[in-house]
Amino acid sequence: MTADGGSLSKVQRWMMSALIAPGRVDGESVTETFLPGAQLDAASCLGIYQRSYIIRLRICLMGQFPATLHALGEDLFCDFADEYLRTCPSDSYTLYELGRRFAAWMEENRPDRDLHPEEREPWVDFMIDLATYERMLFHLFDAPGHEGKPWPSIQTPDNELILLPGLVLAQFRFPVAWYYHEVRAGKSPLYPAPVQQLVAIVRKDFQTTTFPLSPFHFRFLTSIQRLGSIDAALEEMALWCGRSLADVQSSWIADVRQGWITAGFFIRRNDQD
Amino acid sequence: MDKVADKSEVQSSHPDPAFELLGLGIGLRNCHFDHILAEWPEVDWFEAISENFMDSGGRPRWVLDQIAERYPVVLHGVSMSIGSTDPLDMAYLAKLKKLADDVSARWVSDHLCWTGILGLNSHDLLPMMLTEEALDHVVERVRQAQDVLERPLVLENPSSYVQFQKSTISEPDFLRALCDATGCRLLLDVNNVYVTCFNAGTSTSDYMKAFPFDRVVQMHLAGHQHCGTHIVDTHDSPVCDDVWQLFRTAWQKTGGAAVLLEWDGDVPEFERVHAEVLRAQAYIDDIAPLPEQMVPQRRKTTTSTPVDFLVPNVMNDSRIQIP
Ligand SMILES: [Fe+2]
Repeated sequence: MTADGGSLSKVQRWMMSALIAPGRVDGESVTETFLPGAQLDAASCLGIYQRSYIIRLRICLMGQFPATLHALGEDLFCDFADEYLRTCPSDSYTLYELGRRFAAWMEENRPDRDLHPEEREPWVDFMIDLATYERMLFHLFDAPGHEGKPWPSIQTPDNELILLPGLVLAQFRFPVAWYYHEVRAGKSPLYPAPVQQLVAIVRKDFQTTTFPLSPFHFRFLTSIQRLGSIDAALEEMALWCGRSLADVQSSWIADVRQGWITAGFFIRRNDQD
Repeated sequence: MDKVADKSEVQSSHPDPAFELLGLGIGLRNCHFDHILAEWPEVDWFEAISENFMDSGGRPRWVLDQIAERYPVVLHGVSMSIGSTDPLDMAYLAKLKKLADDVSARWVSDHLCWTGILGLNSHDLLPMMLTEEALDHVVERVRQAQDVLERPLVLENPSSYVQFQKSTISEPDFLRALCDATGCRLLLDVNNVYVTCFNAGTSTSDYMKAFPFDRVVQMHLAGHQHCGTHIVDTHDSPVCDDVWQLFRTAWQKTGGAAVLLEWDGDVPEFERVHAEVLRAQAYIDDIAPLPEQMVPQRRKTTTSTPVDFLVPNVMNDSRIQIP
């Protein structure tokens, strides 16, 4: 592709592809497009943009995936980042979206994708889950929240409570939340053994907290999210575990209700936007 | 003539009463949020990066709202892509307008550049090929943007590392024609003038002679990295003497433009950044400037348009609840 013709659109398409795939630009088109600089030839002038492009976006991905960076090491992370940026260049006006497709891209491009699932490398699963978790956190930090509005108290009746709209329920094959926070605390955690991790992620007062959950509690919160009602979810849980509704209700009140309300899992139905 | 009288005369002759004389401002950066909220420092005004706040439902937006209650705020964007041949992003412009209204932005600026094409974004301020075709194109788009924003757009001269073979108009002439056709105003970045001219091997004084100062409502100051054969606009160091000299001349010609210091890479503590912009007062008053303070260590990589201010670290406040 060359920049001949000189029209604005042509030259912009040419320059954009020169940034995304520097190796595909021929020297002739560069000297046809740009004058030499004061002390650099035209290709070196373009090279300033080409280098800055990839470094800037790499640094941005490192900032959005600090634990994945730690787990992969800088060299491998940069290889992944460069390839990701080549195949999924930014399509948004904001760099906040740059990492949106990173975990899905890793899944699609995993080196062992042609093997049977049971023969695949667990470390790849770990990287994918870790990147997924980091993206969830990054998104939640700046997503619309409930700050500045009233929170329910433990006196608020169940039928007035709904889940915080931004609350995230997620499951992972590795303890990625633990690993992430170890890295953020400046430690060097070892690659963890696989273990199912079920979590709720909540933001309150601009503080984002990950709550590891038991399978029962995870199922309960998923039911509340789906049914929009604590009472209906309690009934569903009673049916599912074969216990009486009274048993499940007293466990809800004794074990988790106060803690979850205080942690910001719920808002009052009338306080939603 | 008495310097003070001279200055007030210059300020009162500012040609554009729609634009306030804001004084000496600082680019708002996330790493300074806590300091600003705790100290409410005596700063004339803040410039906020539009894209960092227009979608924010988290702490950054909350902080900006607090700041906008106490200080004049100007919005400075990096993704309008006014020069691109892609269609203008109307959803982006609508969000920008809402943010500008919400924080009572004194004005809204972006750059004479394009940032991407075919729906892709390089997140860089890419250079325009300056031709009649480009001028017609940008004139049309500035009009569209101003219609949505319901205010004049303010456009900045970017730092450039290439010159197009087929450019036929100089940057100052291009900007003048753009202002004449659309009523837009200008943000003159003297560091960018210095960087662009050095890299192209052209003269800063020719550039300044041709520049339409009567359209300038704001100026930028920033540091750069000199790499021997070229200069990269890194915003990671104090303003160099040559740029201060350009500032001295240019500011007088603008008749009192608002002044803003950009510091985006290796950002030092708030007071150090503030001290750097306050040095501008000496050049405005035309008295001997204060000596430069200690220069911090430079970053390893030389990247134009540093990413630190594009994606601030919003990830500090996270914890895991141990069951
Ligand atoms: Fe600037």
